[in-house]
Amino acid sequence: MAETLTPDAAPARLLELSSDARAAVLLDAAGAPAAWTEADPERGRALAELARELFETVDRATRDWDPDPSEQIEVQVPGGAVFASRTPRWTLAVVARRAALSSLMLWDLRAVLGELEGGPPIRRSTSGDDGAASDTPAEQASEEAAAGESPVPELGAPGDES
Amino acid sequence: MKEKRKGPISIAGGLVDSVAATVRRMQRDREPRALAYDPTGYARLIQPEARGHERILQIAESMVAQAGSDGAAQSNEEAGTRPKKR
Repeated sequence: MAETLTPDAAPARLLELSSDARAAVLLDAAGAPAAWTEADPERGRALAELARELFETVDRATRDWDPDPSEQIEVQVPGGAVFASRTPRWTLAVVARRAALSSLMLWDLRAVLGELEGGPPIRRSTSGDDGAASDTPAEQASEEAAAGESPVPELGAPGDES
Repeated sequence: MKEKRKGPISIAGGLVDSVAATVRRMQRDREPRALAYDPTGYARLIQPEARGHERILQIAESMVAQAGSDGAAQSNEEAGTRPKKR
């Protein structure tokens, strides 16, 4: 069975997904830091505090022309970029390279938050023996089901000879 | 209708225009900016004159500084001292 993503592992998962991501931080619904990728806890907490303030400031800036609070934020500044996404329960922010593709970063943020909220785990391609084995019956069954959904007709199937 | 053949001056002029447009686009891409996305994924640019725009950029710059800017991260990678992931 696939592992459930825990809040502690969410920021690290984001950095695994994107090579452009440098640091990530997760906040809970109250805006308190839940997890971060920084080795230094002080820096992690400082990053979380800034992420919380970022959403608060954006909410104030957009309140006049958008009644609904923004779900995602992108800020490009010299030296890097900041992306953040939130759900009612979690806020995930990441500092990325300036060259990071916005759409991919925002997609990754949404995917990690979705997994954290109990959605399907993100499928990652694996190389070598790690990906070759699908030992559990559930995994084998899902692979068989996926193979059965293929729209490509099988060659030599009965009824082809007409 | 047959297209009129371009002369060397016209070709050079087109190249200059293309390069100038690329430089303008690169300069525009480098400018600091803040975007807010609604739940449908629609992006709205937070205008420079909007309330809090300056503060948003300051916060983002502080976050980038905390995590290490592009230049610092590159030199860390070259020196083999990339910050450890938790």
